[in-house]
This record gives sequence, structure tokens and C-alpha cells, in this order.
Amino acid sequence: MKKILTGIALASAVWALPSSAADISIGAAFPLSGPNAEYGQVFSSGADLAVQHINADKKLSGKLTMVYEDSQALPAQGVIAANKLVNVSKTPFVLSAFTGVSKAIAPVGLRTKTVMVNGGGVGPDLANLGEYFWNTIPLVDFEVRIIAPYLVKEKGFKKVALVYVDDPFGQSILKELEVELKKAGGELVGSFSIPTTAQQFSGVAARVRDIKPDAVYVATYGNQQVQLVKQLRDNGISQPIASYSAVVLPSMLNLPEAKGLIYTSQQVDWNKGDAMTKRVREDYNAKFNKDPSMYVLNYYNAVMTFADLAAALEKAGKPVTGENLLAQRKATKTFEFVGGTVSFEENGTVKSPIQINEMVGDGTSKTITAAK
Amino acid sequence: MLFVQLLANGLQTGALYALIAAGFSLIFGMTRIFHAAHGATFTIAGFIFYELFAILHWALPIAAIASAAAAGLFGVLLDRFVYAIIQRHEGSFFTVFVASFGAAIVVQNLISIFFGKGMVTVTTPLSKSIEVMPSLFIAPISGIIILCAIVAFLILQWLLTRTNLGIALRALGENPNLIEVYGLTPRRLSQYVFLIGSILVVPAAILTSATSGLNPSMGNHVMLISIAATIVGGVGSLRGAAVAGMLLGLAENLCLAVIDPQWSEAVTFVILFLFILFRPGGVYGRAIVS
Repeated sequence: MKKILTGIALASAVWALPSSAADISIGAAFPLSGPNAEYGQVFSSGADLAVQHINADKKLSGKLTMVYEDSQALPAQGVIAANKLVNVSKTPFVLSAFTGVSKAIAPVGLRTKTVMVNGGGVGPDLANLGEYFWNTIPLVDFEVRIIAPYLVKEKGFKKVALVYVDDPFGQSILKELEVELKKAGGELVGSFSIPTTAQQFSGVAARVRDIKPDAVYVATYGNQQVQLVKQLRDNGISQPIASYSAVVLPSMLNLPEAKGLIYTSQQVDWNKGDAMTKRVREDYNAKFNKDPSMYVLNYYNAVMTFADLAAALEKAGKPVTGENLLAQRKATKTFEFVGGTVSFEENGTVKSPIQINEMVGDGTSKTITAAK
Repeated sequence: MLFVQLLANGLQTGALYALIAAGFSLIFGMTRIFHAAHGATFTIAGFIFYELFAILHWALPIAAIASAAAAGLFGVLLDRFVYAIIQRHEGSFFTVFVASFGAAIVVQNLISIFFGKGMVTVTTPLSKSIEVMPSLFIAPISGIIILCAIVAFLILQWLLTRTNLGIALRALGENPNLIEVYGLTPRRLSQYVFLIGSILVVPAAILTSATSGLNPSMGNHVMLISIAATIVGGVGSLRGAAVAGMLLGLAENLCLAVIDPQWSEAVTFVILFLFILFRPGGVYGRAIVS
């Protein structure tokens, strides 16, 4: 019996040993369940593709792996996920998503000197969460600054109504849209906040119809935004609907009621012609039979940024820690992202041009205004 | 006109809530099992219908029957192989609740695996509103929802009051020990309750797939409505569940005439709170003493 127990103990010890001393893991606190789980699927497809490319190219001395934890897109769950990734899995680099979750987990990164990178949340507050919090996605204030003058000046929609989710992200959209519409010569004629759990919007549609806006801006996310757009259209809202980059979900792109929806997104130049852009597009298409969305690219770029920084640290003989990753990022002027060369601003947010798109209604969208 | 529009919306939402709550109320009232997986039954019915009707293009009646069969089977199997076993060994209310809650999570994850995590909708012109009067928009599906609710409750009322099975089921809700004296088996009757209760949720699931769409995690919202309507209507009272569902739907919509949409869901809980405080037995039920 003693021998068996000793054998089991030895086997467990050997099993627990890392396969290579230089193997490294990075984490991701994504919504893997709940009403926003579809985002988790999209985000992880980008991160996984980057890991696959990094390992195939042997960019790092060891094997890179992703460790996923479920944030459920909820701040409290996000903090649990981040703590587990930092303290148990010991990841020096954690991918984050959603404004509320990102704001909640940023102090964990700051306290433990772990880099947290957001590629999905767009609340303007995310630019000011400390130097360990980076964004590989331009924040929504940039998007609103582009779409407000487009709606008012180019399309002549001076009276805009807003339906927004009642959370930190929604509040920031309300503030931005109010200011930017005024600047462009338009007006926010009505704003209707909805709880994050709401699913019935026929009453909201009645209130929106009642104020007779020229256009309706919707600012929510996940399954709720799909339900909202469908029910607005079903309940007699015929005015143009505008939104921001989070609407690019397969379920929204395939929704017949979303046809004609105008939305902003960061620019991606598929014709850039560089090897990385071509490879990502081809490999993603081979696996999913469609072009990668901006979210896929944001998380692909985030993981690639990690690999570039970690490779530089390894070359310099420095350990891959959050502190060294931050120093290395500050020392690197530009990064090659899919579809463009970008730089990080002082606050850790990437600068990227914004374009305006329109949903076609068949699972695709088209660019209607070039990036500014 | 806004008030009339909100009233029309409230009637549609209320009828849907009544249909959703009826099954849960029946199961809880007759068996005293807190069937937390009732929301999962709704999700299964909705997704099966979506797959058969919208993807495989089966005829609507066949897709609806298959959806009802799946929902009924799920309810009966859960009762037979989970609740019955737990009750045989221990029977604690809380253990059964946890098992039911666990089953709901398993179903949610299985649906995510098989159908994806996104939103799916059944596209039909019936969900598109028509301007019947200036500024009054009503969708044909609203009438269908209200009609379905009326038909479902009439059938259920007939079943419970005019058939031997219905009388036995009501007796089960009154005193499960006493019915054994009459040669009836509470466990067998319990399976009938789960079958009927689970099938009752099918019309609501099918109609929801066309009005607001389906997603794997929508069972939580279904449960919320079911619990609120059961308590407000009175445990075990189907008439109560119908009235409470209608009351909650109307309140949720009519309140929008005066308050921001953000608070409309809170209205449901204010009503619930007031009932618990001043009329714990609900509209038609009686207070439960454990």
C-alpha cells in the first residue's frame, strides 16, 4: 500500500512539473456563460488564433497557452476570475472585456503589477485605469465624435433619441452623445435607460415613437441589443438606427430587422497587403468560413502585443513580468496590428481611425464612410 | 395615445407572462416542488421549435408538437429520475431545489453547446406591428398570444375541474398522503403534473421566439416572472397565476407613461413586495404555513 501511495505521489509530482521551464500562460476573463457569452466565443477565437500563430512561429522560447476564466460580463465575477488568473495561474498578462468588468479588475492589475488588456469594452473611463491597464480598442468617445456629426450634418438627422443600458458604459454614452450632438448642431431629444436584464422593449418603443426622433441611437450589448433592435423595428420604429462597434455580433448581422443599421468601428485595412493581415484573414476564414470581426482582431492584436513584448524581454534576458512588459511597451514606439500600424497613447489606449458602416442584413456589413 | 399603446403592449406582455407562470404555478401548487428548471423547459421548447421550424423548415404544427414533446419529456424525466430519487432518500425541499437549479444550469450549457450562445429569432410577418390608428401600433401576434392564453387556461380549467385526472391532481395538491387511501399513487400523479406543467410553457416559448427571440440564458428571466406571478396570484391557483401574469405585464408597461424604462422591472418587485406584506396568500391563494 505504501509503495502504491509513494508511486502516486511521485507520478503526481512529475505530472505537475512544467513541460518546459520557459512555457508561459496568459489569462483571459471573458464572459463564457450568461447573456453575453456570445462575445466570449468571438473574443476567444481571436486570442486562440494568435496563440496558434505564436506557437507555430516559435516566437517565444517556450509554449504559450491561454487560461480562460468566466467573468459572465459581471464586475463581481470578473474580479473573482482576475484574482484566480493572477494568484493561482500566475499569469503576468490578462485579457479583459466589458467596461464594468474592466473597471472592476483594473485595481487587481495595478496592485499585483499584472498587465490587463481590454479589447472589447469601450467606456471612455477605461483610458484612465492606471498604467497596467491597456486598451487595444479605441474607446466609444472616439466613435461618438465621428457618428454624431455624420448623423446631423451629412444625413440631416437633427433630433436623435438614445436607448442605453443603465451601467457605467451606458452613462458615458449618454454624456458623450449629448455633448457631441450639440456640437454638431443637433439635439438629444430623449434618452431612455434600460436595466441590463430587460428583455421586453415594446413599451420603450412606444416612448421613443412618441417623441418622433429623426434617428435612434442604441447603446447596449450582447443579446439585449439584438432583442432591442428587433423589438424597436417590430413595434413601428422606422427611423434609422445607429450604434457603436459592439453591434458586430453574428446574431445581429444575421437579424433581418438590423438591415440598414449604421454603426462605427475602428478601421481595418484588409488591403494592407502585409503577411500578418493576410494570414489572419485566411486562417480565420478557413476555420470559421467568414472574415474576422474587429473584436477578433482586437484580441488577436492584444495577444500578439504580448508575444512581441515577451520576445523582446527574452532577447534582453529579462523575465516576463507585468512590470517588464509595461516598461517594454513604453520603449516600443509602434506595433504592427492586423490591418494597420498603431501606437499606444500615454494612457495605454491605441489610436486608431474610425469608420462608419452599414449592416446589409445578410450577415455582412459595408463601409459607408472612410476612416477619419 | 401613449397610454392606449402601453395598455395594448401590457395586455400582450401580461398574456405571455400568464402563459409562462401557469406551468410553474401548477407544478409548485400540486407537488410543492420548487421547479427551478421550469425556465430550462421553456428554453428547450423554444430552441427545439426554432431548430425544427426556422432551420429545418418543418411544418408549424409538427414543429410545435415536437417542441411540446421535448418539453414534456424533460419535465417527466426530471421528476422521475431526479426529484423522485431525492425525495425517496431525503425529501428535503432545499435539496430538491438545488438539484433543480443544477439541472437548469446543465440545460443552459447544453443549449449553448448545441445552438450557440447568441440570440436566435423566428422571423415572421406576424410580429410586425401595424398602425391600426394614428400612433397606435399593434402586431397580429399580440392577438395570437392573448388567444393562446385564453385557450390554454380554459383547457386547463376544464381538465382540473371536469376530469378524474384533474380532481386527483387537485387532491394531490391538498393532501398527498390522503389520496393513497383512495388507491392513487402520488408519484404517478406527480409525473402527470410535470407533463402538463411543462407542456403549458410551450405556447409562450414558441411565441417568444418570434417576438423577442431566444437565448440560452433566458430561463432565468422566465423563472423570475414565474415566481413573482405564482406568489402574487396565490400558490396553486391557476386563475391567480393568470391574473397575476396579466397584472405584472400591465404594470410593467403602463408605468412607462410616468417613469423611466429603467425602473419598469422594479415595478414587478414592488407589486411582489406589497403582496408579501399585505396579502401573503396572493390574489386567490391562501397563506402557506410550513
